Amino acid sequence: MAFIPRKIKLDAGNDTLRIEWSDGHSSLYHYQDLRDKCPCATCTDSHPATKRTAAGGLALFTKALRPDRAELVGRYALQIFWNDGHSTGIYAFSYLRDLCPCEECEAARIGE
Amino acid sequence: MMKVLSSVRDTAQQKDIVALGMVKDVEVGDQRVTFTLQLQNPHNPANGQIVRSAREAVAALGVADVQVRIAPAQAPARGPNSNLIPNVKSTVAVGSGKGGVGKSTVAANLAIALHLQGAKVGLMDTDVYGPSVPTLMGAHQEPVVVDGKIAPPVEYGIKLISMGYFLPKDDAVIWRGPMLHKTIQQFLGDVRWGELDYLIIDMPPGTGDIQLSLCQTIPLTGAVIVSTPQDLALHVASKAITMFQKLNVPVLGIVENMSYFICPHCGQREDIFGHGGARAAAQKLGFSFLGEIPLETAIRVKSDSGKPVALDAATPQGKAFGEVAAAVAVQVKNARAKAEEEIMIE
Repeated sequence: MAFIPRKIKLDAGNDTLRIEWSDGHSSLYHYQDLRDKCPCATCTDSHPATKRTAAGGLALFTKALRPDRAELVGRYALQIFWNDGHSTGIYAFSYLRDLCPCEECEAARIGE
Repeated sequence: MMKVLSSVRDTAQQKDIVALGMVKDVEVGDQRVTFTLQLQNPHNPANGQIVRSAREAVAALGVADVQVRIAPAQAPARGPNSNLIPNVKSTVAVGSGKGGVGKSTVAANLAIALHLQGAKVGLMDTDVYGPSVPTLMGAHQEPVVVDGKIAPPVEYGIKLISMGYFLPKDDAVIWRGPMLHKTIQQFLGDVRWGELDYLIIDMPPGTGDIQLSLCQTIPLTGAVIVSTPQDLALHVASKAITMFQKLNVPVLGIVENMSYFICPHCGQREDIFGHGGARAAAQKLGFSFLGEIPLETAIRVKSDSGKPVALDAATPQGKAFGEVAAAVAVQVKNARAKAEEEIMIE
């Protein structure tokens, strides 16, 4: 596996999570983006018995999204326990790296 | 200063705060004392009291300016010393792609050889469908439950656990994934492994539920791949290697089993499955080649009778496993050195 996080910081400010990678790269993820890209079977419509429910509710009555905590899964992934009760998403490090929203990575993705 | 602070107790844990390691970065100046209190449990109702008492204890010495920095408690990340098996130094999975290449035989003999070289070793058989460790190691005892935890049987100095201990002979396990996952967690967390240098984990063949559960539940130190020399087996073994790489488990190297056959009648050597395929594959993929084990009737006979060949380090078979064990020990040491750089979650 190419990229491993060295440091994962929840609450990096402005509803973001920051990962500092072993190669020196740093990624800043917005909570809502990460939640929307949850890779679990339910959220990706892979689970036959469930359909993804649209994230709804009036903003006034919805708690601001944030992770309650995060745990490492073996040596390859991060499990995020969101404050909306969802926690089945296992974010593989390679997946997180692919999601990095920085300009450089964005440009590299377009180039592919 | 530490002595004064050690008079402050965390009433929830009934220990003083110095013994709990909560006091850090003490700086003593002229009229000023600064220190950090590392809180341990965010929900401890005594937190406020601890901070107040610590401040007062120092102030009582006549210090005018007491500065207390408070480090909030954090949920512990699951590190390599996973909470499940805190006293196990290294976990080594023995896997293969194909079945029937001798994974369990290699795992059992590797465990014994490491033990004979002076290490404390456990052997966990995660092949719940076809558990063979009780046969290989001679199941003379049964696991017993002491204080809510399983005390593993000990054979030849190795602590053992296997599904085979919990099933009537000839009964079968017919389970789907979630049950397997639970079993893996119990084998790790509910077995009294105690202090071990190595926990050798015998895996079922393939890249399925059990392998994934294992790699998710604990951060494995590394994996040993067993293969026979022919292309067919090596091709499937490379799938197991890919799985470990995807899950970021270091591959410690490849062992070639059934490497060659020496005819007991005429002494002529026959390479039944070819020879050197695993060494070539290891070289090509950039892994260590951990050794070769010959195909011999003695290994089969001893395995079936529950007296693994590695027990007698003087025999050629025992020596072969001893060399594999020494090579594995070196690779484990290297993998651990690399894993020192932990992932921190803040």
